[in-house]
Amino acid sequence: MDRRHDRWDQAGIEPPSAAEAIIGCVDPITLAIHATPAFVASAVEFVEATTIVLAVGVTRGWRAPLFGTLAATLTLAVIIATLGVAIVTIVPEVFLKGFVGALLLLFGLRWLRKAILRFAGIVAIHDEELIYQREVAELRAQGLKRKEFDWVGFLVAYKAVLLEGTEVAFIVIAFGAAGGTALTAATVGAITAGLLVVALGVALKQPLTMVPENWLKFGVGAMLCSFGVFWFAEALGMEWPGDALSIPLIVLAFLGASWLAIRILRALLPQGAHVEARNV
Amino acid sequence: MFRSIWATLVGLLIEDGQLAIGALIALAITWAIAYTGGDQGRDISGWLLLVLVLALVVANLYRAGLTVRARVSSARR
Repeated sequence: MDRRHDRWDQAGIEPPSAAEAIIGCVDPITLAIHATPAFVASAVEFVEATTIVLAVGVTRGWRAPLFGTLAATLTLAVIIATLGVAIVTIVPEVFLKGFVGALLLLFGLRWLRKAILRFAGIVAIHDEELIYQREVAELRAQGLKRKEFDWVGFLVAYKAVLLEGTEVAFIVIAFGAAGGTALTAATVGAITAGLLVVALGVALKQPLTMVPENWLKFGVGAMLCSFGVFWFAEALGMEWPGDALSIPLIVLAFLGASWLAIRILRALLPQGAHVEARNV
Repeated sequence: MFRSIWATLVGLLIEDGQLAIGALIALAITWAIAYTGGDQGRDISGWLLLVLVLALVVANLYRAGLTVRARVSSARR
């Protein structure tokens, strides 16, 4: 038994598990600030990837999509290891918060704009069931040779997991680049989301339509923008009143502006024009 | 495949070019004021950036709404 275990034995308590040790080294506020947005944003991306992998598995068998998922996960690990390390090591620490803040703001504005257009009726609401049915129909139409390895299934799953996973990787790197234990917290949030979504997908074997993706994307968009503004200003030397406690206020400001934008868009478009607008 | 990865990476940040450019201009204005305005400039930089970005979001979507309305009108004709 090693010295670390001797210490726990002398104290008369059970040693912590690996997961407890990782989470234990991150203080609760850091965990909440970095893990929560990483968890919610990653969950949305994992749901989208799961829908495609499920569609491939149900129509063409599970071997090829599982290999595709594994290959994409390995590619993502390489991307995180190279890009993440490059950002953290190449960008000087003094600029890192500002750089990450700017990236988060740009990334968040993209999500927020799309969510506002969806809620205003200009862009079709994201429908996981519809995407699943469309994917199943396309995959069935491609045909399947039972004796050969299903490269179509492999590539569809690989591409879906890689593209959605790239967004997860970006989120983890962005929230983790704030320094300290932020990367651990963001990684814990993303991994928890991944495990939860995959477990739900395996248990239900159908698209996860119960996840309110449109609302989550709206909230995540506002959160990403808020963190972007918060960190960029901190990088410039500003001290926010109440430090991180001002983040919820900034989120509320973004939600308020979004609500205003939705009202304006609904007022601008004449009745019945919303569905029409999607086709022009 | 690499082209689609690159497109995704760029697409992560930019969907609407005007919004992205507007955000970069807002960041540049904030940075300039924080560095030229001394302590006072630094203290208001966050609130200034927040106001600029909120105005940008509303203005960008208002413009998008006008564009969609014009397209719907011409499609109906």
